[in-house]
Amino acid sequence: MSNPAPLVGPSAPSSTPVAPVKTSRRLFSTLEGVLHEEVFFLILSVFIGIFSGLAGVCFRLTIDWMHLALLGPLPQTHSWRLFAVPSLAGLVVAALVMRVFPGIRGSGVNQTKSALYIFNGFIPFRTAVGKFICAGIAIGSGQSLGPEDPSLQIGASIASALGRQLEISREKLRLMAPVGAAAGLAAAFNAPISAVLFVIEEVIGRWSAGILGSVVLSAVASVVVVRSFLGSEPLFRIPVTTFKRPTELIAYAVLGIAGGLASVAFAKSIGYFRPLLKALPRWTQYFQPAIAGLLVGLIGFLGFPQVMGAGYDSMDQAMHGQYAWKVLALLAVLKILATTVSFVSGTPGGMFAPTLFIGAMLGGAVGDIERFYFPHLTGSTGTYVLVGMGVLFAGFLRVPMTSVFMVL
Amino acid sequence: MILLVLTLAAATGFAAVSHLVTRYTANQQARGRKLYALGLENAKALHYDDAIAAFRAALTCDPTNSQYQLSLARALRDSNDPRRLDESESYLIALWQRTPQDAAVNLALARVAAHRGSIEDATRYYHNAMYGVWSGDLDANRNKARIELIQFLLKQGARAQADSELIALAAALPPDPASHLQAAHLFQQALDYPGALAQYEEALHLDPGNSTALAGAGETAYLSGNYSSAQRYLRSAVSANPADAESRQLLASTDLVLRADPFHSHVSDAERNRRITAAFSQAEDRLTACAQQVGIDLTKVDLANTAPASALPGLQARWQLAKPDLDLLRSPAETDLPDAIMDVVFQIEQQTAATCGQPQGLDLALLLISQKREAASQ
Repeated sequence: MSNPAPLVGPSAPSSTPVAPVKTSRRLFSTLEGVLHEEVFFLILSVFIGIFSGLAGVCFRLTIDWMHLALLGPLPQTHSWRLFAVPSLAGLVVAALVMRVFPGIRGSGVNQTKSALYIFNGFIPFRTAVGKFICAGIAIGSGQSLGPEDPSLQIGASIASALGRQLEISREKLRLMAPVGAAAGLAAAFNAPISAVLFVIEEVIGRWSAGILGSVVLSAVASVVVVRSFLGSEPLFRIPVTTFKRPTELIAYAVLGIAGGLASVAFAKSIGYFRPLLKALPRWTQYFQPAIAGLLVGLIGFLGFPQVMGAGYDSMDQAMHGQYAWKVLALLAVLKILATTVSFVSGTPGGMFAPTLFIGAMLGGAVGDIERFYFPHLTGSTGTYVLVGMGVLFAGFLRVPMTSVFMVL
Repeated sequence: MILLVLTLAAATGFAAVSHLVTRYTANQQARGRKLYALGLENAKALHYDDAIAAFRAALTCDPTNSQYQLSLARALRDSNDPRRLDESESYLIALWQRTPQDAAVNLALARVAAHRGSIEDATRYYHNAMYGVWSGDLDANRNKARIELIQFLLKQGARAQADSELIALAAALPPDPASHLQAAHLFQQALDYPGALAQYEEALHLDPGNSTALAGAGETAYLSGNYSSAQRYLRSAVSANPADAESRQLLASTDLVLRADPFHSHVSDAERNRRITAAFSQAEDRLTACAQQVGIDLTKVDLANTAPASALPGLQARWQLAKPDLDLLRSPAETDLPDAIMDVVFQIEQQTAATCGQPQGLDLALLLISQKREAASQ
């Protein structure tokens, strides 16, 4: 994790490449004496939460609609659509990324961190639009990516645009990105606490009392908005879990080691291939998402459509023991492959959902194997799936606190 | 002013997204209904994999629809894949937490528990279903659920619990011969023959010519040792349905029992003595035939050195000892003699049945009489 600059105090050096805000002017002079900027910032956080929540709702509907329109309501293996759709969608996404929305590749978490620490909180609004459209098409068409990180960046971008529009101080504008990020992530997760913790752990990098209130307010406001439209149904139906003997923790420790190794393999594969593909001639970037889509589609075509898209339904089914351990293990490996291919091709999309997917499948497989050799273990497949999700989330994204609350 | 603008913008955004969500939800619900209908069609045709896929797709269109969740849970349960029971239960538990009084959800949960063979859970959920909220005919649905519970308990061998449910069922049956016949059948399965006979009689009270009830009443009367009633019902059953071979066979056995039983009421002393003599003679024939069947020549056995385990030679010896007593049957002083002689006959019939298999004809009748006497003495 990078060494973060102080969030409250002297602003970033003036040599930053983007400085669109007239920082010297107190923009709320009419409110001075009535409404202190600190208070206004808190109120603004609520509005950021509302707007990010609204964007999150639209983003989720877009992905669902795209998925239905492009792949159909009933998943069918051995259908030409499975590889044709992500390939063609990859071409469209690549064209948009190259021509209209440059700088929206990847998940969006690192871009948000850059905005916070390098660009004084500046994220162009075009990023939100581009991320919304391109990630919507990519995930909806079956690329092995998730909607959470793009939602985070959309939230941050909205917050940044709103701050610039209201001409708030540079000091406060820097803080808009994490506030918006928390709101965007909360909208995607439908869970404010995890979003707040993630932003603190990963985006901000340390506990900061100066921003915590705003982050919490925006996340809660965002979730309230999302729930008012989409309901409060959790992503998964958590099965009944039992824990009878402390010695069973050894079984979970084994899962932790397996998850750690999988995280390393996943991170290394991305770290190895991403620079390689980036170094290829520029014209190849028009085709990389399409080739990634073709490969991911082929995995689906060959009998594993579960790896396409975010895969929450499959995680839910794994949690309820729908797959044998061999299928679970195979799905974990294939998801690592598919997500690596999708991500390194520069297709906009997030890593949260794929990470959870890999963890779920790996956890289920390890749990089933352990219970086969040690039948006295009382944990159900669902328990191991849940723990596996937390393990990969903590291992790959390196956010242990968030992962604990995510699973809880 | 700024706050006002932001509020207006938020309100506008809310309205726009609300409109969008409403339209999208309506479209999705319409799509969900189509997929649900497809799922029902597949479930009806027992294509559970396709049904599950369709119900899952319907649920992605309308995730909170209880009917879709219930149907998916049912399809998962009925697909005969033990791995799917967990998921089925998970859906049902979620539904149950929302509407614990819903009888359909409780019934579905009870069936999942029954699939798992959990008597405690199944009984609890069946009871919840019985006393829950039904959308249709309350009494009919309750009885249906109770019958299902009884069938499950009988299958699990939980006779005592099944008996108590049967008593409750008998008290709540509507005045309908079919219901009483079904209850009678359950009583019969629970080996409660008097209870079954009572239900058949109720059915006959409502529909006196019902041949199924007549045959059932005859059979249960026969099985409970009530041969006079059995004869009456079986005669009526055979005359109502001459093609009923089973009732005809039971009637023949019943007639034989009633003709051979020396202890039957309204039998004169002379007739009793004649029956005892005939039974005694029949027992010897049966003993000899059975001994030959297992390779024992009773004429060459040294009775003095017969091992206790060698039952047939021992019985032969007892028969020989009792034979002179036949001449004393007419003596009014020998009041215990009929019992003593028939005791030898019954022991021979029971032992030969155990050694050589179920007898036929008069031997079967004597065996049945012995069982009836034994049950009466107990």
